[in-house]
This record gives sequence, C-alpha cells and structure tokens, in this order.
Amino acid sequence: MGYGYHRPSTLDEAFLLADEIPDSRFVAGGTDLLVQLRKGEPEPSALISLRGLSELRGVETSKRVRIGATVPLSDVEVNPAVADMFPALAESITKLGSRQIRNVATVGGNLCNASPAADTAPPLLIYGASVELRDARGTREVTVEDFLQGPGQTALRSGEILTAILLDPPADGTRSVFLRKGRVAMDLPISSVAALAERDGATWPRVRLAAGAVAPVPLRLRHSEAIVEGTNLDAEIRARARETAQSEISPITDLRSTEGYRQHLTGVLVERALEHLAGEVGDP
Amino acid sequence: MTIEVSFELNGFGVEVDVEAHLRLLDLLRDVLGETGTKEACGEGECGACTVLVDGRAVNSCLFPAGEVGGTAVTTIEGLTGSHGQPSFIQKAFLDHGGTQCGFCAPGMIMTTVALLAENPHPTESEIRQALTGNLCRCTGYYQVVEAIQEAARAGQVARS
Repeated sequence: MGYGYHRPSTLDEAFLLADEIPDSRFVAGGTDLLVQLRKGEPEPSALISLRGLSELRGVETSKRVRIGATVPLSDVEVNPAVADMFPALAESITKLGSRQIRNVATVGGNLCNASPAADTAPPLLIYGASVELRDARGTREVTVEDFLQGPGQTALRSGEILTAILLDPPADGTRSVFLRKGRVAMDLPISSVAALAERDGATWPRVRLAAGAVAPVPLRLRHSEAIVEGTNLDAEIRARARETAQSEISPITDLRSTEGYRQHLTGVLVERALEHLAGEVGDP
Repeated sequence: MTIEVSFELNGFGVEVDVEAHLRLLDLLRDVLGETGTKEACGEGECGACTVLVDGRAVNSCLFPAGEVGGTAVTTIEGLTGSHGQPSFIQKAFLDHGGTQCGFCAPGMIMTTVALLAENPHPTESEIRQALTGNLCRCTGYYQVVEAIQEAARAGQVARS
C-alpha cells in the first residue's frame, strides 16, 4: 500500500492530473475499488478522487433527467422525481447493499465498476439511459447498453470521466418494475430483472426487459421483448417469455448460485415482472 | 505521500497529516487513538466500523482518510456525556442485552443514531432494514431491535 491520493476541485484539474500521473485511477465512492485494492488488485500509482467536483453533483429533473455521476445512491433513492418516473431504478438502489454503502456509493461508480451484477444496470437499460463521458477534448454520449462491454470493461477511454447519467422521462402510463433475488439482503443478486411496458388499451405495444448477474454484462432480453410486445400480456404469453428469457442468457456457476438455478430463477423473475406490469399482483 | 486533513471529530477540531492510502478507520484508530470504532471484515459487509460523516452512517473501512477534510465525524466516543455517562441509546442497548461480546455494538449504535435522527419512530421492519449493514454474531438481533425500540421511546421522552 502506498498510492497517492488527489482531490481535484474542477474537472479540468482532474483531466490534468490523470494526464500527469501514469497509472492513476479515478475513484468516486470507492466502495468497490477500496475492497478490490485490499484484496490485492494491482495498485494504481494514485487515486484521483472525483468527490470534490461540483460538475458531477446534483440531480436535475427539469426536462431530461440528469443524475450527476457522484451523487450518493441514497440521495438518488429518495429523489421524488426519480421515484416517480423511474421506480425500477429507485427500487434497485433500495436493494443495493446497506445504508452505509448507499450513503457513499454512486450510480456512476456502479456503472464504471462494470460488474455483471451491477444493481442499477438493468433498470437503466429498460429506461434507455445514456451516460455522459468527458475528457479534456470534449463530451460524448453513449447508451448504457454500449457502455457496458464485459466484466470490468466499459467504453471509457483512458483519461475519460463518466460525468452524468441521462434519462428521458417515460411516456404517460408507462409501468416499470425491478425484481431481484440474492442469498441475503446485503449480497449481490443471483439474478435481477427489470421490466417496463407502455399500455395502449388492452395491449402493450412497447416492452423492455433486462437482466443482471446472468451474463458477462447486464443485458436486454430482446427475444423475450419480441414475444410480449403488442400482446395483452396474458398468462400464456408470460410463460413463453419465461422460457425465451432462459434461452437468451448465459449464466455461470459461482459461489452464489449454479448456472441451472440462475437460468430457472431468471425465467421466474421475468414472468413475475410481467405479472406486475399486467397488474395481476401488487407491489413487489 | 501524506496529505493534510482538518475536520471535526466529536465536536473537536483535528488537523493531521495522514498517509494518502489510509482509511478513515485507520486514521481514527491508529493515528488518533480513538479505538471505539472497530474493524471486523474490512470490506463494508459487517458495519462494525460504522461512524457518522456529516450525520450520515458510513463504513469507515471504505472511506478514504483523504475525503474527511471539512467534514464533521461522530464516533461512539462522541456519544457519552461529559462525565462518561452513556447516551440514552447506549443505555437502551445495555438494558436490553443488545450487546454480548460487544464488538459490533459501536457500529450498531452509530447506525441507530443515524436512524433515529432521520426517523424518530421507526417500525420494527424499518429498524431491521436499517440494520442490514450491521452484522452481529452473538445476540441474534432480537435484543438489538428491542434496544432500538426502547431508545426511540427514550428519545421521545428526552425531547418532550
């Protein structure tokens, strides 16, 4: 142990530091990174803390919703606009770790850490969220789906910082839900599923489904979506979606679960999530 | 690399040079000698190291010492009165057997301080939710929940 620690107060200062210090790493809440470093991950020469950057703070909900990358999860969780427009995201945060973790951990960090089990990822996928990435040369926007590229792998370029999460308010009458199953409350999920549907009379023309912890990245379940879109979400359709979901994931066996159980569970969660959207069961 | 941090610890100003890679937990225990805050898992699972930073419960084992500048930190040492008398929360834990070996107690109690500040009348379910990040390997939590319910009642009396 012996890395440096820097706490810039502007983005430009952060870019400059990253440029000047080879092998440095940006850190937001640090709740994953500090554990990884103590477990013997290769140490960076320095950590560059993003917590002092006002540009990365605050939740704006005027038109497009903009969640600053370093807003603590517990602040996002209780934001009334987030809870109202993106209930599946709020629910995923409520279920993430403990209050002590949520008081420090950030949505930006949850995405940059790029765990296949990242709790906020499936909800952000169904809402079609994007991330704002900045470096000294400029700003670009990438969808969360394109941002997450593999375990620990993201679209971030060297020296680039994820500065915000961007979400478009869903259409009126949109329903969404987040379901997760873990061994105990604090643990990472064995499987998690987020679902969203827009209603038009008796049918649901637009449905989004995403799952976490069951593939190298949190992923959209496009084949299952295709089966349920435009239908009335009845029991038979939901059962077909369950089977399809099981075939489009690629879970592994690890200390939390077996491949087979993850496959089974994900199908069940997809079916239940669709039941919630169809209004056949109460709140999860 | 050392960094200079100045912050408030239990109401007193502290200015100290710390090694950049230290955690708030190391700063409290090893540099400042405040050993009431405990380390058990060291990875944010057990909550034994819970302290308040600006009133929010955090795991001091995951909190870089370099981030503490300008904040107000409260530890278990900050709860007792000027003559060492326990606070009403500590007393409730004692009265209800909410501590057995006692190692998790400082973290449990700091979580309780944050909970009651935000929600003075928590339901049993809210108490159990709040304790998600605090593990105890002795008591089985019933006594802890009872202690917090008692503390909530005592806090109400103290305020009225």
